[in-house]
Amino acid sequence: MKDLLLYLFYQLIVRPWLTLIIGVRFSNRQVFDNVRQFIVVANHNSHFDMVSIMAALPWRKLKNTRGVAAAEYFGKTSFSARLMNFFFHAILIERHRKEGAPSAIEILDGHLKAGKSLVLFPEGTRGQAGVIADFKKGVAILLRDNPGIPFIPVYLDGFGRVLPKDKWLIIPLVCKVRFGEPVYPAGQDVDEILEKVRDAIFKLKDKDERDRNVFDYK
Amino acid sequence: MTIAGHSIPEEILWILAVIFGVLLSCSAIIYLLRQRRDTPLLKEIHLRVWSWWRIAIGVAVVIAGPPWMGALLIAYISFVAMREMFSIGQLRGADRAGIFAAYLAIPVQYFLAWHFYFEQFLYFIPMAMFIVIPVLLVLNGRMNQIGRSMSIIPAILMLTAYMPSHMVLLYRLPVQPHPAGAGGLLIFLIMLTAFNDVFQFTWGKLLGKHKILPYVSPNKTWEGFVGGILTTSCLGMILSFLTPLLWWQACITGFVVGLTGFLGDSIISAIKRDLRLKDTDDLIPGHGGAMDRLDSILITAPFYFYLIKYFAGI
Repeated sequence: MKDLLLYLFYQLIVRPWLTLIIGVRFSNRQVFDNVRQFIVVANHNSHFDMVSIMAALPWRKLKNTRGVAAAEYFGKTSFSARLMNFFFHAILIERHRKEGAPSAIEILDGHLKAGKSLVLFPEGTRGQAGVIADFKKGVAILLRDNPGIPFIPVYLDGFGRVLPKDKWLIIPLVCKVRFGEPVYPAGQDVDEILEKVRDAIFKLKDKDERDRNVFDYK
Repeated sequence: MTIAGHSIPEEILWILAVIFGVLLSCSAIIYLLRQRRDTPLLKEIHLRVWSWWRIAIGVAVVIAGPPWMGALLIAYISFVAMREMFSIGQLRGADRAGIFAAYLAIPVQYFLAWHFYFEQFLYFIPMAMFIVIPVLLVLNGRMNQIGRSMSIIPAILMLTAYMPSHMVLLYRLPVQPHPAGAGGLLIFLIMLTAFNDVFQFTWGKLLGKHKILPYVSPNKTWEGFVGGILTTSCLGMILSFLTPLLWWQACITGFVVGLTGFLGDSIISAIKRDLRLKDTDDLIPGHGGAMDRLDSILITAPFYFYLIKYFAGI
C-alpha cells in the first residue's frame, strides 16, 4: 500500500514536475523490463539525481529498489532519515565506520542477497557539473561477489546546473537521464570491474552535449 | 458553433477543417505505405507528421479554445523556449539568481497582457527587468564576465517572453474588430509566419543562386528571400477574410511578416552557429527544439500586433 502510494506520487506528481517544469528527458527507460535485479550506477552532481532515477523506475522495480546515501548528511535528524526511507527506501551508510559495526559492503551485500536492487553513486559525493570524479571500489566488490546481478549505467546530464551542491535555488534547465544497457561484468579483478563501470558511464557521457554548454560554472 | 458556452466563428472552423483534413490524409497515406513496405525514410516522415499533429493541436487550442486556455498555452510555450535558450546559453553559475528572476517575469508579463494593462505591459521587461536582472548579478558578487551575462539574460527574456506575449494582447483587445475574433487574427499570423518559412525554402530550392547570408545559413538565397516575401504578401491578401484588414493592408502585413520572419530565423541561426549547434534541442522529433520552430514567430508577433493596432485604429 505504502509502495503503491509512493509509485503514484512519483508518476503523477514528481515525473510531470520533472519533465514539464524542470525539463528532464528520460531515454531508454525500457532497460528495466528485461532485468530482475540490478545495481544502478550513475554520476552524481545534484540532489535531483536520486529523485530522477527513482521516478524512471517501473512499479515492480521501485518496490524492490533501495537508494544508497550518506548517513552523515541525510541521517542528521531522525525526521530526515525517515523521509529518505520513505521516498528512496534509503540505506544510510556511515562514511566513517564505528568500531565493531558491519562495513558498508557487508550491509549492501546483505540487501542484494535479500533480492533488493540498489541505486549507487560510486563517486561517493556530489561533484562539479560535467566532471566525473574517481570511483570508490565498493560497487566493483559488490558486483564481483554477486555475479548474477548486472549493473545499469546511467549518465545524468545537466542536473549540476539545475541544483548544484551547496545551493538551494532550483533553476529549470534542460537535462537528460540516459540509461545504458545492463552489463554483467565477468571476472574476479576488482579494478577491472571498476574500469568496466567507468567505461559504461563515460560512453553514455560521450553522446551528450549539454554539460559542454557550461561556461565557467562557479 | 458553440461548445460549452464558448462560440467558435465559422471562418475558424473552416481553417481547422482544412488543417486537420490535410494532416489526416498525410497520416493515412503514410500508414498505407508503411503497411506495404516500411523504410527508414517513411519512419522519419511518420515522426515528422506526428510532430505536426502535436503542433496543430496546440494551434487549435490557441485559435479555437477558450481565450484563457490559449493564453496559458502561449505562456507555457514561452517558458519552454526560455528554458531552452538558458540551457544552451553558456551562462555562469553566478547567474542563477538572474535566470530565476527571468523565469518569474513570465507570469507577470502574461498577467499584464491578459488584463490589457498596456502601459505596464510595455515597460515591465524592457525597463524594470532590465534593471532587476543586472542588480541581482551585481549582488552575487562575481565580476568576471558579468557584462556578458547582463546582456544575454535580458536579451533572452525579451526574445522569448516579451515578444510572444503580444499574441495574448490580441485576445483582449478593447474592441474585437472582426467577427472571426482573436482566433482569426492569431491564425492569420501563424499561417503567414509558417508558410513564409515554407515559401522561402521552396523558392530557394527552385531558383536559388545568390547566397544572402552565407556565414549564417548557406541555404538562404536572395531568390528565396524575395520570392518568399512576395508569396507571403499574396497569401496575406487571400487570407484577409480572417481579419479586419483591407486587401492592401493585408498585403503590407504579409510583407512585414515575411521580412521579420526571415530576420528572426536568421538571428536564431546565427546564435546556433556561434554555439556550434545544429538544433537548439531535440524536443520535437524531426524538428529539433522549440526554438527551431518558434524562431520566426517570436519576431513576427509584435510587429503584427502593432500593424493590426494601427490599421484597425485600436
